[in-house]
Amino acid sequence: MPSITINISLYGDIAKHAGGHHVAQTEIMLDGDPTIGDLQDKLGISAEEKGYVFKNAILCDVPGFDAAREESLCEGDHVGIFSIQHMWPYQYRDGVRMSDALARALNEKGAMHNIYKATEE
Amino acid sequence: MTRKIVRINMSNQKATYEDVPKKWAKWGGRGMTSAIVFEEIPPTCHPLGPNNKVVIAPGWVTGTPAAPSSGRTSFGGKSPLTGTIKESNAGGLSGQKIAKLGLAAIILEGTPAKDQWYYLVITKDGVEFKDASDLMGKGMYEIDEILWKDYPKTAVIGIGQAGEMKLSNAGISVNDPENKPGRYAGRGGLGAVLGARGIKAIVIDDAGGPGVDIANKELFEKGRKNLTEAIQEHALTKKDGGLNAYGTDVLMNIVNEAGGLPTRNFSAGQFEGAAKISGEAIAEVVEKRDGKGMTGHGCHPGCIIQCSNIYPDESGEALVSCLEYETAWALGANCGIDNLDIIARMTRECNDLGLDTIEAGNSIAIAMEGGLLEFGDAEGALKLFNEIRNKTPMGRILGQGVEATAKAFGVHRVPTVKGQSMPAYEPRAIKGIGVTYATSTMGADHTSGYTIAPEIAGVSGKLDPLTDEGKADLSLAFQASTAFIDSSGYCLFIAFPILDIQTGFEGMVDTVAGVMGIDLTGDDAIALGKEVLKMERLFNERAGFTKEDDRLPEFMRYEKLPPHDVVWSMTDEELDKVFAWVHED
Repeated sequence: MPSITINISLYGDIAKHAGGHHVAQTEIMLDGDPTIGDLQDKLGISAEEKGYVFKNAILCDVPGFDAAREESLCEGDHVGIFSIQHMWPYQYRDGVRMSDALARALNEKGAMHNIYKATEE
Repeated sequence: MTRKIVRINMSNQKATYEDVPKKWAKWGGRGMTSAIVFEEIPPTCHPLGPNNKVVIAPGWVTGTPAAPSSGRTSFGGKSPLTGTIKESNAGGLSGQKIAKLGLAAIILEGTPAKDQWYYLVITKDGVEFKDASDLMGKGMYEIDEILWKDYPKTAVIGIGQAGEMKLSNAGISVNDPENKPGRYAGRGGLGAVLGARGIKAIVIDDAGGPGVDIANKELFEKGRKNLTEAIQEHALTKKDGGLNAYGTDVLMNIVNEAGGLPTRNFSAGQFEGAAKISGEAIAEVVEKRDGKGMTGHGCHPGCIIQCSNIYPDESGEALVSCLEYETAWALGANCGIDNLDIIARMTRECNDLGLDTIEAGNSIAIAMEGGLLEFGDAEGALKLFNEIRNKTPMGRILGQGVEATAKAFGVHRVPTVKGQSMPAYEPRAIKGIGVTYATSTMGADHTSGYTIAPEIAGVSGKLDPLTDEGKADLSLAFQASTAFIDSSGYCLFIAFPILDIQTGFEGMVDTVAGVMGIDLTGDDAIALGKEVLKMERLFNERAGFTKEDDRLPEFMRYEKLPPHDVVWSMTDEELDKVFAWVHED
């Protein structure tokens, strides 16, 4: 099974999963027909630490949801993943392009709210 | 103790104290400034002429003991940049000290004799008019230092050289707890209106002042506790949360990933150097230089969010505070500049000269498009501030803002609404903000439409983000809720915990109700906000603005924005719904 190269940017605490401190920008090889879920697993990013997720400037996931795991990846795709602490006020994301899976998830589950429980709880 | 208004007439250098009239008794902050502007300023007056005024008002809860993150000061008047009503608010030291003097508002009116400049000293004993000759021609860093020698630990409100020149992009500076100028009522050119009053600076000394009355202390304390807990618990506003760790520039990478970061004068939606000028990059510089730089800095006493920063120079010494998202974007991505050190130096120039960083960066981007410099020419951009400092014709053009600069350089891609340039969210890619840009009473403004109420946010999962349906109603709700927060004296960033935590929302409302001694529920917040918007909208109508002014610039309808290759598609009819109610109620 041939592998493909994905360009990734990790922002915030999760940058540590790709050798960064606050930001990590690099490329990663994935085998087969990978998804964003496969990418997260390979990097070791848990659902709890993941915030917003983008693929090629399309919003695929938001904090508290898990809507991007099945999103397929192709050679040369760019994926940006943010830590859970990143904010993005609703009024500054109202109308952005989002994936079909995320749109379905928002319609089913309702509004996204930032998780506000203390991390140690 | 009854709240007072001090009316300061610069024509005869007299100050008179008045009880707050019943018609204005319910207002604070933006509600107060807009009510006074609406009633006292002729809408068709020239913004720099004798009939305009500057109104300064602390919010409802500003100056109360331990109300968290509530130190905002509102400045109002008719804007020389837009010709509309303007409210611009700032953090820093001024709001709490004005409130603690028992003042609900300061009204600055009249014009002194030609070439007469004053600084005012406002204390519990009254207003002193001081000759400002020794302060003229000086920037705000020096002004703040000079005035603290004679008036230590006071609030200093002032204008830099831009305000002296009455440039349309002149802001009003407020000093921060370290006595640095960086807290700006930046947008709309109110610094020029203060200059037209012959006022270089205002010192506020609250020593011995009566403080702020709290009508229902039990209700206030209950609300204060709930709101404080919500801020301290929420992921974005708690210590080491997103705002505290990375500041507002935490948005740079997110908006860039979304394809909505205006780049090189709004010609693209992504900037290849975004990560280098982001909040994450600022945090790395602060850690690496290990000096006097810091994140998690508070812009006023009592702020528990602390989203400000102090950016260090190469030797670790403090260079500038604060490097905000809008600032890093305007002077960075929109000019094609990815050098954070140069952006910080340009920010310091803006803070010293007294310029709004958004309008300044956008004006440079326009000049770059017009051929004055290449996009990305960081050193060249930094040198342009000398043009303003030296009062050259070029400096005066740039200091008049984007529209004047575009005319001077023959540029047609002009990202303005009602004369004010757009902030850091591209409306072709982020359509919701475009509705607010188009219809705001203030011109294109990113702080005009925050969401605070859970029932408003609840629509976010129901609306189809790819259609335009419902965005007008949403924008109105956002604009009304923002007008309420702007009246409270709270920082807009309490929006996050009060949105997500119901007790936080109730706490915010209870603190306002407790101070004012009024019955207030969450539903009342939108109604009060709409009252403010109505006054502002009617002022603008009487100044000559119509619904035809509620439009985004033409180029956004036909120029596709990469990477999504989208144009602005919202119909005029949808935009006109936002304020259709003004003449119906």
